[in-house]
Amino acid sequence: MQREEKQLEASLDALLSQVADLKNSLGSFIYKLENEYDRLTWPSVLDSFALLSGQLNTLNKVLKHEKTPLFRNQVIIPLVLSPDRDEDLMRQTEGRVPVFSHEVVPDHLRTKPDPEVEEQEKQLTTDAARIGADAAQKQIQSLNKMCSNLLEKISKEERESESGGLRPNKQTFNPADTNALVAAVAFGKGLSNWRPAGSSGPSQPGQPGAGTVLAGASGLQQVQMAGAPNQQQPMLSGVQMAQAGQPGKMPSGIKTNIKSASMHPYQRKSAQQMRKWQAGWPWGLLSSLAPSQPSTTARLAPTGGLCEFVYVTALI
Amino acid sequence: MEAPPVTMMPVTGGTINMMEYLLQGSVLDHSLESLIHRLRGLCDNMEPETFVDHEMVFLLKGQQASPFVLRARRSLDRAGAPWHLRYLGQPEMGDKNRHALVRNCVDIATSENLTDFLMEMGFRMDHEFVARGHLFRKGIMKIVVYKIFRILVPGNTDNTEALSLSYLVELSVVAPAGQDMVSDDMRNFAEQLKPLVHLEKIDPKRLM
Repeated sequence: MQREEKQLEASLDALLSQVADLKNSLGSFIYKLENEYDRLTWPSVLDSFALLSGQLNTLNKVLKHEKTPLFRNQVIIPLVLSPDRDEDLMRQTEGRVPVFSHEVVPDHLRTKPDPEVEEQEKQLTTDAARIGADAAQKQIQSLNKMCSNLLEKISKEERESESGGLRPNKQTFNPADTNALVAAVAFGKGLSNWRPAGSSGPSQPGQPGAGTVLAGASGLQQVQMAGAPNQQQPMLSGVQMAQAGQPGKMPSGIKTNIKSASMHPYQRKSAQQMRKWQAGWPWGLLSSLAPSQPSTTARLAPTGGLCEFVYVTALI
Repeated sequence: MEAPPVTMMPVTGGTINMMEYLLQGSVLDHSLESLIHRLRGLCDNMEPETFVDHEMVFLLKGQQASPFVLRARRSLDRAGAPWHLRYLGQPEMGDKNRHALVRNCVDIATSENLTDFLMEMGFRMDHEFVARGHLFRKGIMKIVVYKIFRILVPGNTDNTEALSLSYLVELSVVAPAGQDMVSDDMRNFAEQLKPLVHLEKIDPKRLM
């Protein structure tokens, strides 16, 4: 008897401390919710939940422990009911229960559900008893069937929405389109080309566009004449020829301009001789002298201008 | 004294030789939304940026095999923005260890009389188009998703027609030469866009 009482005491103490812990955590969580809701983060809420759930688990463990006596076997009988204020009780319940009167005792010492709930429960039990085993089995089967149908529908919906999200997998891009677009940005394939009609594709060798060749030619002169003592005049004449060649339709003359320049390598002629040639050479004569094959110098001509251009742009 | 051929010349921007690393792909119009959504999630947190650009490609063709190409770009939706002149070198495919196409690149901001300047130098316009799309950034990576429009009447950027039913997607990084590690980052990023878009290194020469 002594031993049982001790055990009861010990388990009650354990229970009390667990419940107190739980109460403290609940209190602080409620406090947090009420006072810090504006800066409360979801992880911290989850932390609080985890703490509560842990404490509830411990409480359950204590209750289910084999050494814990069955509390339901303990009987509590109210010995005195008093309408007067009880300071002791007030302190123990932290101000929640001021009096131990007939009004509060039924609620606090209740061990059974409300009479109405009891009534409802009884009703349900009788209903269940009235149905035959066959009918019950049928109802169970139909319920199961409905549930499985519903589950199937839900999972089907899920699959469909997933495959809807993945549908682009098959049709989000078209490799042919990729190639077409890359070719368009790389060299304008499929885009409208505005090449001047007269020059008919400056890329064709032997028919260079007038502007292209002349710009290149002046660049070449600049590069090659760098060492010459008086380079201003040849430069000027080059520009003059350019202006003369542009407005008129004289493709052959323009061609000759460059090619004849290559026919007279500057290195072998003195600067004076060259000036004479560039200033006085008649157009007709030049065209008749045009060689059929472009010379090395002529081919390189645009490159000279280009070097400068790239250099200039790099400096910018 | 012989000038070296154009393509062999080192093109320098200041003192550093800049290279553009590039991956390309495309996305069909109806999947654009999904792609934009994913890019907004993956890229730096910034306001979605759109652009409408007019690009003109100028050629300087001599008698050597490959013409010299310069690209002039101007913004159509931002008045007062500087023009953009760009030189792009020959693309190099590289080996399997490099996951992106690499090409020399020089970018310069210019004034708006750029076309006159180029024409005076002897350049001729080869083609032009309008690019309209979205721009994203992630670190040094730039992702552009844009549609290319044909220009029906020369110079009139209001009268255009879409080139295809897809948007071009380009992932690019401009870095000093030899920084091949950036292509690893680009590959990783491209992986995250699969299967929506397959960004690959596409050799344009193959499409000529």
